[in-house]
Amino acid sequence: MMGAPVALLQVRGLTAQFNRGDAASQVVKGISFDIGAGESVGFVGESGCGKSVTARALMRLAPEGSSLAWGGTVLFKGQDLLQVNERVMQDIRGRRIAMVFQDPMSSLNPVLTVGAQIEDVVRRHTGASASRARKRAVELLDLVGIRDAARRADDYPHQFSGGMRQRVLIAIAVSCQPDLLIADEPTTALDVTVQAQILRLLMRLRRELGMALMLITHDFGVIAGMVDRVHVMLDGRIVETGSVDALFANPQQAYTQALLAAVPRLDVAGKLA
Amino acid sequence: MRRLVLIRLAWMLPILLGVSVVAFVLMRALPGDFAQASAGTTELAPEALNIIRRDLGLDRPVWEQYLRWLAKLLKGDFGDSFTTHKPVLGELLPRLAVTAELTLIAGLMAMAMGASSGLASARWRGRTDWLVRGINGLFLAVPNFVVATLIVLLAGLYFPEVGIFNYTPFLTDPLGNLGSMLLPAFSLALAVSVTISENTRAAVLEVSSQDFVMVARAKGLRPSTILWQYLVRNALTPIITVTGLQLASLLGGSILIETIFTIPGMGQYLFDAVSGRNYPVVQAIVLVAATVVLLVNVLVDVAYARVDARVSYD
Amino acid sequence: MTERQRLGGGNAMMSIGLLMLASLVAITLFGTLIAPYNPSETSADSLAGPTAAHWLGTDSIGRDLLSRLIVGGRTTLLITFVAVTLAVCCGLVLGLFCGYVGGLADQVVMRILDVVFAFPVFLLAIAVVAALGPSVPNLILTIAIVYTPRLARVVRGPVLSVKRWDHVEAARSVGVSEFNIATRHVLPLIVSPVLVETSLTLAQTIFTITALSFLGLGPPPPDPNWGAMLSEARQFMELAPLTVIGPAAAIVFATLTFIVLANGLRERLDVASR
Repeated sequence: MMGAPVALLQVRGLTAQFNRGDAASQVVKGISFDIGAGESVGFVGESGCGKSVTARALMRLAPEGSSLAWGGTVLFKGQDLLQVNERVMQDIRGRRIAMVFQDPMSSLNPVLTVGAQIEDVVRRHTGASASRARKRAVELLDLVGIRDAARRADDYPHQFSGGMRQRVLIAIAVSCQPDLLIADEPTTALDVTVQAQILRLLMRLRRELGMALMLITHDFGVIAGMVDRVHVMLDGRIVETGSVDALFANPQQAYTQALLAAVPRLDVAGKLA
Repeated sequence: MRRLVLIRLAWMLPILLGVSVVAFVLMRALPGDFAQASAGTTELAPEALNIIRRDLGLDRPVWEQYLRWLAKLLKGDFGDSFTTHKPVLGELLPRLAVTAELTLIAGLMAMAMGASSGLASARWRGRTDWLVRGINGLFLAVPNFVVATLIVLLAGLYFPEVGIFNYTPFLTDPLGNLGSMLLPAFSLALAVSVTISENTRAAVLEVSSQDFVMVARAKGLRPSTILWQYLVRNALTPIITVTGLQLASLLGGSILIETIFTIPGMGQYLFDAVSGRNYPVVQAIVLVAATVVLLVNVLVDVAYARVDARVSYD
Repeated sequence: MTERQRLGGGNAMMSIGLLMLASLVAITLFGTLIAPYNPSETSADSLAGPTAAHWLGTDSIGRDLLSRLIVGGRTTLLITFVAVTLAVCCGLVLGLFCGYVGGLADQVVMRILDVVFAFPVFLLAIAVVAALGPSVPNLILTIAIVYTPRLARVVRGPVLSVKRWDHVEAARSVGVSEFNIATRHVLPLIVSPVLVETSLTLAQTIFTITALSFLGLGPPPPDPNWGAMLSEARQFMELAPLTVIGPAAAIVFATLTFIVLANGLRERLDVASR
């Protein structure tokens, strides 16, 4: 389209697979999508549809002992992430593209304080001094809603609840003001009441920091109100795309309909009887 | 945690008491007592033997001997050696220092060799892993005294100019002393390094697959940071435990190594004392050895808690 | 690694280990028959290298090295097998007792065993053997005393945990006899760790016995044994390296056998226990 700005992230024909010896993980079989600066895009699908693999392939994060087999292009601000060398990738991770994972209980290093785990990424990417990094860490903990941030920064992960650990992980992710935040099932492992809080937090941060958001989930209920656009994935491919309202109102694919039906709706009377 | 340490230290006392009783009784249950042993091959008349016994209080009932010994011990007196009539403590301490030095150097060597090979094995997998584990298996099968003897053989055959039996005390010649300790410490360290290597490898592998390591990578941290702050620091606990537990086998092995390399440590002293039925010396050594082993166990637990903030004994 | 590979790998180790074990057993049983010479038979041909008459050469007083290695192996291995069997039996009884009975009796016995654990294994062995005097029965006893506690501990663990399992409680509440519970639930769990630990103990026992003999606390002459042979060889080792290499290789071979077996068992039983 003439005059349209180049998207922040342009994925074309991405195929990806993580191999460990003989075994292969789920596969992405050729998907293409854009994410514009400041845009919020959702990826929905059942387990095994390839949405997480997509995210990890973007970040080139193969699980321990596996390697990534890929095809296609992933253009991030003009650079093909699949072609750059690992050193460049390390500079991008955490700084330009950050990720929040599913299980907050196991995602923090047990032997480092929460503050230290924010400071290390800040110092890594900005070269800040120890005291500067410390200040920043406390600011961030405050930003994500952790009370008594200065004191809590010296606490260890096991002293925090699941919801609070996820906040810490979000603080870590946004610490260097990335252009793109990938959230892979960020609320799946949390209590229902906490889920809403975390989602609201993500929304707020996105607005305040102007980040693009890639939200991955199996639950349509999670993305409602969170994203501008949704890609529905099935078996390694994108099968339907549209705005949230459009999809909710008029799902084209049977699969999408099934996903929507899976969301418990409190506003539809009589269904539960 | 302070409470736990105190409890552990408190438990040491009855255990040591038990140890001392066992040692005491065992020694006196020997066929042939000190009097006969010191006589050696000369035929002494029974009266002569009895005089020796009375002199040393060996004619008293066993329980009385024990209580006397215990009473003196509580005052810090380990008794006098039957053979030299000099205080055991004075003879024991320098030898203890030598054995301690040997054990310490061996322990450090074992940790260095074991931790690095284990780490390499875990990080690089593939050929390296295969090689390290294969070599480990082989080393494990070669007892330390066999290693030591083979080293002496090799040295004798191919490096006859290099003197390996030239132990010099530390205070006389520090560098020479360390040099003379290298090969003996190596013989001791080899088998222990295997255990440390295997445990390091397992620990690092286990930690590598944890979620927080993936998060560390997603943060774009440098590989060295991830290695030391995320992998090693979490793998340290099992490594420390294993090293501490190996101390006992290092102590035991030092006797053999000291004999082969003619190093004047506690091992030789113990051996001579047992053969010569030198009771006070044996008891002192046994007590010291047991104390060291128990203390190390407590230290290991303390180190555990320092390294891993989750571990709290309260 | 696929399941097949796993099983294949485990089996390779096991096969090798069993083969090695078979050769050791053969030496133990038929040693005196296989040996070409009487191990105590001296000759004028001292410190000779390998010849047609003496395949591995001779020692300082002309005794055939090969024969001494074989018969020495017989002595060493005999003591090893008997001693460890004794240790395993005692350990099983003690461990089962402690694990099953639990409570105060368990605590008391474990504290007593702690006293044994406080000793470095080898120092303890030296102390006991020196106290009792070096003879074959005493060596067997020493090994048994030193290793029983460790085996008891290995047995006790699974017993303690199984006792509390739900389906065991359920079985008990329905009236299944303790004996049945013991044999059908507890025993299978103990088998693998005990087998592995036994193999490891065998390897350690070889070490302990040869080390004791090295120090002169082994079976008294004229029975040859590897540890003593190694020690005696030190005097003239540059003249006849085989007198050192022979016993060294023998000791390594025997130890390796049990380590390989332990590894093979671990692989085998790990898969089976899934």
